[in-house]
Amino acid sequence: MQDRGESAPVLTVTELTKVYRGRKPVTAVDHITFELGRGEILGLLGPNGAGKTTTIQMLLSTLEPTSGRIEYFGKSLAEHRESILALVGYASAYSKLPLHLAIEENLDVFGRLYGMPGRARKERTKELLTRFGVWDLRRRTMSGLSAGQTTRVMLAKAFLARPRIALLDEPTASLDPDIAHEVRDFVREQRDGARVSILYTSHNMDEVAEVCDRVLFLDRGKIAAVGTPEELAASAASTRMRFTVEQGLDDLIHSAEAWGLAATVERETVEVEIDEHHIAEFLQELAVKAVRYTGISLFKPTLEDYFIMLARRSNGNGGGKEDPVATCTPSAGNGRALGS
Amino acid sequence: MRLHRINAVIMRHLYLFPRTLERWAETIYWPVIDLVVWGLTSKWVETAGSKVPQLALILLTGVVFWQVVWRANYEISVNLLEEFWNQNMVNLFATPLSVWEWSVGLVVLGLIKNVLTLAIGAGAVWVLYRLNIFAVGWLMLPFLFSLLISGWFMGFVGAGVIVYYGRKVQSIAWIAGFALAPFSAVYYPVAILPGWAQAIASTLPMTYIFEGMRKVLRGGPMPLQDLMLSFGLNFLYLALAIVFFAWMFDRSRERGLGRLD
Repeated sequence: MQDRGESAPVLTVTELTKVYRGRKPVTAVDHITFELGRGEILGLLGPNGAGKTTTIQMLLSTLEPTSGRIEYFGKSLAEHRESILALVGYASAYSKLPLHLAIEENLDVFGRLYGMPGRARKERTKELLTRFGVWDLRRRTMSGLSAGQTTRVMLAKAFLARPRIALLDEPTASLDPDIAHEVRDFVREQRDGARVSILYTSHNMDEVAEVCDRVLFLDRGKIAAVGTPEELAASAASTRMRFTVEQGLDDLIHSAEAWGLAATVERETVEVEIDEHHIAEFLQELAVKAVRYTGISLFKPTLEDYFIMLARRSNGNGGGKEDPVATCTPSAGNGRALGS
Repeated sequence: MRLHRINAVIMRHLYLFPRTLERWAETIYWPVIDLVVWGLTSKWVETAGSKVPQLALILLTGVVFWQVVWRANYEISVNLLEEFWNQNMVNLFATPLSVWEWSVGLVVLGLIKNVLTLAIGAGAVWVLYRLNIFAVGWLMLPFLFSLLISGWFMGFVGAGVIVYYGRKVQSIAWIAGFALAPFSAVYYPVAILPGWAQAIASTLPMTYIFEGMRKVLRGGPMPLQDLMLSFGLNFLYLALAIVFFAWMFDRSRERGLGRLD
């Protein structure tokens, strides 16, 4: 976890709003305010249409905000676009590079756009392409690359000019798990070594939980929540404990009822939802009642639980009226077994 | 053979017809332009051909010089489109690159390619017809430079429309320049045009260049007045075109450059 308090934020977004004009104006981003600290990885998450891409486009100045302010290093993007963008790298799984240029030609063009001297361009290109395992393909045109190889070249482009801030839109989309792992390692290295600040969007919740220091959830253009992945996950669902009971099934159920815990029973398996802080106390009570179990598994709530809760609210299933815990679907697939 | 499948193939293309400019251009625009330009040229050759010295040279010089206008125009608007086709607009403008630097880059690129086009065109005319379009020597250079500016202003107007409306109007890149060809007196004197068309022609810088070029090729003196007029109009139109392009680019940025990728 990075300490955000060590210096002033590198990116400050204040009341940023985008309304697309038309017969029916659409508010894609609605007065959002957030900060990105130096050496911090901030996840930008939300269901489709939440405003993630719109936000990133405004942060790159390729989309004009309707209102609000974007400041990098204390300077307004609108007034210092050129000097700011020289320090910002960008990669998206949804954009491409000129198809008929070779990888190294493309990176050469972008190195020139960032004002890198010839030797530095070549050395950095070699370093990054080697790191991403595509150095041997450097003379191949982009049209001859797989989706995964293209994504890796896009990442090399994003970090080519040693940016101080990187905006990464789905950087591991279409990558094989081993390469995605490499990319995540690289991203963390950039944060820990060069202290690069990174805004990171992904649909892979495990990845976001693993990589991001903080997460900002967008929902219908508004900030729905900000926090560490653990905090957000905990706010969406309780920890689930699953017992394989050998003796004292009724006692266990009675205890759960007495504690007011939601419980499901299937033959000798009982699953209860419980606040993490009360687990030890609950187990102690079971021991006193001589409840014996052959197996116990803990499923901590994940960011995906939070995402699902948010998506359901967006679709009107949750409506925000129910207890968030109750709207979360506990399932083994969503949980992460901690031990048994 | 099944009629319904043939019908499906036809419908697949007909559905596109109302909403793509290319289909309209293929069906209506190009035939009309060809008919007007070559019809007027034929008419002029028929009535004045025997009295005009150096007729072949005049026509071929017109062909090569029009390439200069077209190439300069094309380099700006088609290179913009190339970024759309490659989904590279956001990548490009997420760097410190400004729209002015991008424009200057394309203008210089157009200049380089134009020198090549001109050299190849002049060489081909020499090899195939033993005619030297540079017979009047360096006098042609100011004409060529003025034509380049004409191509640039047309290119910036076309690029301004394309950068806002996107690929659905991409054929502007090819058709916009040629729309002015019938009025520019490329192959025939402006006098052959009807009165209303002559009025339009008088507002176009290309007209003065092609008229002046014919005078020089027929052995006349350098038409300085034509040249000055063409430069004056060209600089005015280029300034307006650049302002128009920058304005359309800003409007497009309001809607997001990402939508163009």
